[in-house]
Amino acid sequence: MSEQYDCVPEASWIPSEKLKFINRYVVERKDTCISCGLCGSLCPYGVHQRIEGHAKVLPPYSQRCIGPTCASNDFHCVSHCPTNSLSVRESETFSALGDVRWTTDMILATWHMAETGEMLPLDHPGNTGRAGGGFDHLHFKLGDVPEKVDYAEFSTAIDLNRRKSGERRRIAIPVYGGGMSYGSVSLHTMVARAKAAKAWGTYTCTGEGGYPAELVPFKDNVITQIATGLFGVKEETIMRAPIVEFKYAQGAKPGLGGHLLGDKNTPLVAKMREAVPNTSLFSPFPFHSVYSVEDHKKHLDWISSINPQALLSVKVSTPNDVEMVAIGSYYAGAHIVHLDGGYGGTGAAPEIAKKNIAMPIEYAIPKVHKFLTNEGVREDVTLIASGGMRTALDVAKAIALGADGVVIGTAEMVALGCVRCGNCESGRGCPRGIATTDPVLYLQMDTNWGAQRLTNLFSAWRKQWCHLLASFGMKDITELRGRTDLLRYDAGEEVRA
Amino acid sequence: MTFDPMKLIKSREWMPECAPTYSRLQTEAEGGCGVVGLAASVGLPGKHILGPLIKMHNRGNGKGGGIAAVGLDHVQMRVPKDILDDHYLVQVAYVDPAFREELEREFIDVSYKVHTRYQVEESDDPLVLSALPVRPPQVWRYFVRALPERLQEFVQKRGLQELEARRAEDEFVNQTSFAINHKYYVQKGMKAFVMSHGRDMIIMKVVGYAEDVILFYRLENMTAHVWIGHQRYPTKGKVWHPGGAHPFMGLDEGLVHNGDFANYHSVSEYLAQKNVVPLFLTDTEVSVLLFDLLNRTYQYPLEYIIEALAPTTERDFHHLPEEKKPLYQAIQRTHIHGSPDGPWFFIIARNCFYQDKFQLIGITDPSMLRPQVFALVEGEVQIGLIGSEKQAIDSALSSIAEEHPSVPRQADVYWNARGGSHTDGGAFVFTLEKEGAHRKLSCTNKFSAPVQLDLDYDRQMDVALAAPLRPGGTDLLVEAGNGEEMFQRFLSALPGMDADAFRSLMQATVARASRSDTDLREMLKFLTLAIDRRYPSGIIRRSRITDKALEAVNLILRSIPKAGANGSSFCLVDNLDRNVPLAQGTDPVLVVDCRGFPMEGEEGPSFVIRDGHKKGYHHVIMIDACGQRFFGCGLGPGSQGLKIETFGTSGDYLASGLAGGEIEVHGNAQDQLGQIMASGKLVVHGDVGQTFMYGAKGGEAYIMGNAAGRPLINAVGRPRVIINGTCLDYLAESFMAGDPLNGGGFVVLNGMTFDPSGKPVDLPTPYPGGNLFSLASGGAIYVRDPLRKVTGDQLNGGRFGRMTEEDWRTILPLLQENERLFGISVDGFLLQKDGKEARPSEVYRKIEPSTAKGKPEDVLEDDI
Repeated sequence: MSEQYDCVPEASWIPSEKLKFINRYVVERKDTCISCGLCGSLCPYGVHQRIEGHAKVLPPYSQRCIGPTCASNDFHCVSHCPTNSLSVRESETFSALGDVRWTTDMILATWHMAETGEMLPLDHPGNTGRAGGGFDHLHFKLGDVPEKVDYAEFSTAIDLNRRKSGERRRIAIPVYGGGMSYGSVSLHTMVARAKAAKAWGTYTCTGEGGYPAELVPFKDNVITQIATGLFGVKEETIMRAPIVEFKYAQGAKPGLGGHLLGDKNTPLVAKMREAVPNTSLFSPFPFHSVYSVEDHKKHLDWISSINPQALLSVKVSTPNDVEMVAIGSYYAGAHIVHLDGGYGGTGAAPEIAKKNIAMPIEYAIPKVHKFLTNEGVREDVTLIASGGMRTALDVAKAIALGADGVVIGTAEMVALGCVRCGNCESGRGCPRGIATTDPVLYLQMDTNWGAQRLTNLFSAWRKQWCHLLASFGMKDITELRGRTDLLRYDAGEEVRA
Repeated sequence: MTFDPMKLIKSREWMPECAPTYSRLQTEAEGGCGVVGLAASVGLPGKHILGPLIKMHNRGNGKGGGIAAVGLDHVQMRVPKDILDDHYLVQVAYVDPAFREELEREFIDVSYKVHTRYQVEESDDPLVLSALPVRPPQVWRYFVRALPERLQEFVQKRGLQELEARRAEDEFVNQTSFAINHKYYVQKGMKAFVMSHGRDMIIMKVVGYAEDVILFYRLENMTAHVWIGHQRYPTKGKVWHPGGAHPFMGLDEGLVHNGDFANYHSVSEYLAQKNVVPLFLTDTEVSVLLFDLLNRTYQYPLEYIIEALAPTTERDFHHLPEEKKPLYQAIQRTHIHGSPDGPWFFIIARNCFYQDKFQLIGITDPSMLRPQVFALVEGEVQIGLIGSEKQAIDSALSSIAEEHPSVPRQADVYWNARGGSHTDGGAFVFTLEKEGAHRKLSCTNKFSAPVQLDLDYDRQMDVALAAPLRPGGTDLLVEAGNGEEMFQRFLSALPGMDADAFRSLMQATVARASRSDTDLREMLKFLTLAIDRRYPSGIIRRSRITDKALEAVNLILRSIPKAGANGSSFCLVDNLDRNVPLAQGTDPVLVVDCRGFPMEGEEGPSFVIRDGHKKGYHHVIMIDACGQRFFGCGLGPGSQGLKIETFGTSGDYLASGLAGGEIEVHGNAQDQLGQIMASGKLVVHGDVGQTFMYGAKGGEAYIMGNAAGRPLINAVGRPRVIINGTCLDYLAESFMAGDPLNGGGFVVLNGMTFDPSGKPVDLPTPYPGGNLFSLASGGAIYVRDPLRKVTGDQLNGGRFGRMTEEDWRTILPLLQENERLFGISVDGFLLQKDGKEARPSEVYRKIEPSTAKGKPEDVLEDDI
């Protein structure tokens, strides 16, 4: 049994009260139905059922229907119906939900995993998107995936401090939560993330907006962020943090600093940041105290002088010379070099910036990995990637490209019920009460409910990683690092067409 | 009459073809660095620049260091004086010595008449060698003139007939070195390169720290009038050749640079259009190529060169004298593409051969993004200094003072340059001109306006005071009374005091301090006032008084018991024994002797303060600090009741994170003070550096002098700050400190300084910068501006509000504390207008966010 399997918390069924399961297709039966029951005897998927002794067939179980492609089957219900009462069409909700990066399948898959803690097969359509690039064109050369594996035999843990000195910090899964500030998301969201992080022995991050008192009980699992606005950064927040993250730039909007528009700067948020309510708050780009690498070293030394035990993580975006930034950060004393690519970002990041400024993360990771290897320091630094890692397979791909682990953000939000509507920047725009500090809206979510959803998601992901490792004959996720040979590039049909 | 620069440019047509073909991505990214420069009226040995370079060790990473020296000694150079003066001193570094014969045969001997050649001496000390990651190249010196027939040939072939013969020879040397570097550095793969080529100047550099250069090439005793040094911090790991280290060479000049260009590509393109291409694997070489182009090809005067590098724009441009505007506009139109953008700071050492001058030049970028300090010492030996950090300057002065007693360990004046400004142009030039057997140093800004000190002191006495204080002695002045009274007596006695009297006073002070704890406290109080306050210093120069008072403080505090023995409430900790015993006695004081402590890390003195705080000390005195960082960091919330005092040069990030405690800096402070400060009090008896109180949440701060660039950016909550001087620019950008009348924060800017006699005087304008309170959404600036010099075009998002009685009631308590701390009288000075007492609203103006609730200034009529 791998050493850290004890840390794996229980998954449990945790349905959403607000989210109805969304069907891909809608099967409708008209009143002209004579309840002959033929459809029920034909459909092998169980869409139509008539319970013994009932006069009528039950309403169609649309969720099970495989859609119009069934027409070629000889058990096709629609063409066999004697009264032409049946029809199948695409669900409006299904086609309205999602986008090319976060397809409906992916959102539903994430909801499913968050609800049940059960994994989906590695070839499930919810594992990849349709963005026409990035991780969606990278696929694993899967070997035989065993049906059943003993999860206790696999290790998915990584070390966050790979230097020879300082405290070792090992997390059971190769992911931790990215910075989302108080103000950008609700307090309940933050606490739910922290509870899940505690359950899994991993971390979540305060983002730049202060350290709410409600997070203090979870301090051993909470990274605090120092970003360019220095909002909410105090000695006490640094002193209690196991890891301090320096946010130099964000892959979704490099060079643009941070923004919290006036709408979200409610009196509560302003109080936490000690700023003026209802004004837009800007974090400058860059740090005004850091204009060069020796300033950067001094900046890191400063935090070490406040909390010498804290691991230092340096979050940067992916400019062309990203490897220089990485090596410079390492020599300045960083334990974790965190590359933030351009695929991430919530709805609050300007659309023009997202995906258009930073180097694609799938280029940046191997570039930095190879450079650090050639410099002979790769084994002393933890390389973390982030920016649009949506699924367990995305995480695994990042690791195969050369990262040690991954930071996630949006995937957690989706697990909490985010529908990807993209109204994150407005104060009362979030229908799920996640990206809001509105005192009424955020009560929609209970923190224990949210924590269990996240725990379930990680549980399902871990199972997926175990299956993936099994297919490669590996036992430890660190074996996967840098194994680009296990990936294949497939541009997919939409490009070939 | 004037030579057409196009001809020189055309003569270099062959050079771009030699440009290396590797992409920029293969070059070494430069980070920032530590830079230092000094110019002296006498030749100074290299050991004096060793100290400052070691002090800035943490600004480099051992991947490159170098020095340049101008104004050498002909005996040490092993040539007659006239040869040193007029021959080119070409230094070739042989990374692989096997290539020497070939290179000499192919280039040196066929191009030049070599007067003297020799290999530069190397250290065989195994300690020196083991510190170096890569053995430095063998360096050969050649004192040369161009062979006449080869020069003639060159002039014909390159079409330089109209160029003055000597300048043509300059270009010949330039192009010959380029050819050598192209062949032996680029083509053959870094076998050899020309390290410097110029008259009466050298550059030496290695892979390693800058101090290694001095030790390896045995430059400790080599004298020069101008020195510059550079600690490099390239981000790439495996650097094995020194070609990319600073300084970079131009003809007769060496340049070091701290920072990097955001528009490297554009600058390179601009240079390529002028047939200038870099050959070394680093992007910083372009800076010296740029300088050399403006200097030698366009033959611009220095002012124009500086304007081309760091243009005067926006509000500063409008404030230029009318006759300068068209000229500057023309320079900008022509050269803006070659103007480096981003954070940069150049220090240049050069030999102005045609004017028989040596120069040390410091140029800052127009946005003032890099730290920089200038300093000047007058006297027998005049010294001009430039550094990234003040402690580098102080360290150089301490070292020089040992050799030249007339040099105090404190400069007579320290200041910052305001980049791209109409006031000083962001550049200062130290020029050494011949005067008899020596050289005379003068300091001017970009516009040739001199920096004058008007020091009037007795030089003989000054030198007499240089010798260390001796133990024992009595003086009536210190026999009785408390520190405050002594200081008052001292002030009245000082105008008539001679060196002997002052010395015996200092010695008696030390002697009395040893009598009891009470005496010690009072003597410390007296010395502290003598260091902090500004007053007429009679015939003793001010920097000498500070120097001696600091010496006395060190003597007194170094003689207290180590572990609080003898029932004394004082306890001394030093680098040899850094164990802090538990506090005992009433009002226990922990004294930390910073000498020998590292600059940062858990072994640094900031952790001794933390330790002392935990062990019950409420008063910690740091003595002889030499740039150690992070004083007062890591104390956590609840440091109320703790007071920290610092003597010497405290380092960066002091009080950053302070929540409750009080820190008093006796002297100038450095960069990044009071970041995220939450509460407590910070007092600085001098200037503060860059990004003061960035992201601060609260606390009180009193600054006697100026703040450099970007003070109080992104500050929130309730910081309450008095800056008695002014700021370079960007004061309180994105200020978000609520409503000052309801517990929010504000800055009082008094716009004053002290004249040499210690009298408070108004600055020409309280705020010269073009950006004040930009994008602010809360808080206020109270600027003391009786003559209404601050104008609306300096505000971007702010406006002049009404200075009400409530405003005055809010700031008055701070101004009173300010008076107590610095002796700046509210009624006697601050509220004076044209020599008459004025109402607060006539003197102070309030700048508030344009969204503020009150009425703007122009509708005000209920004066207070």
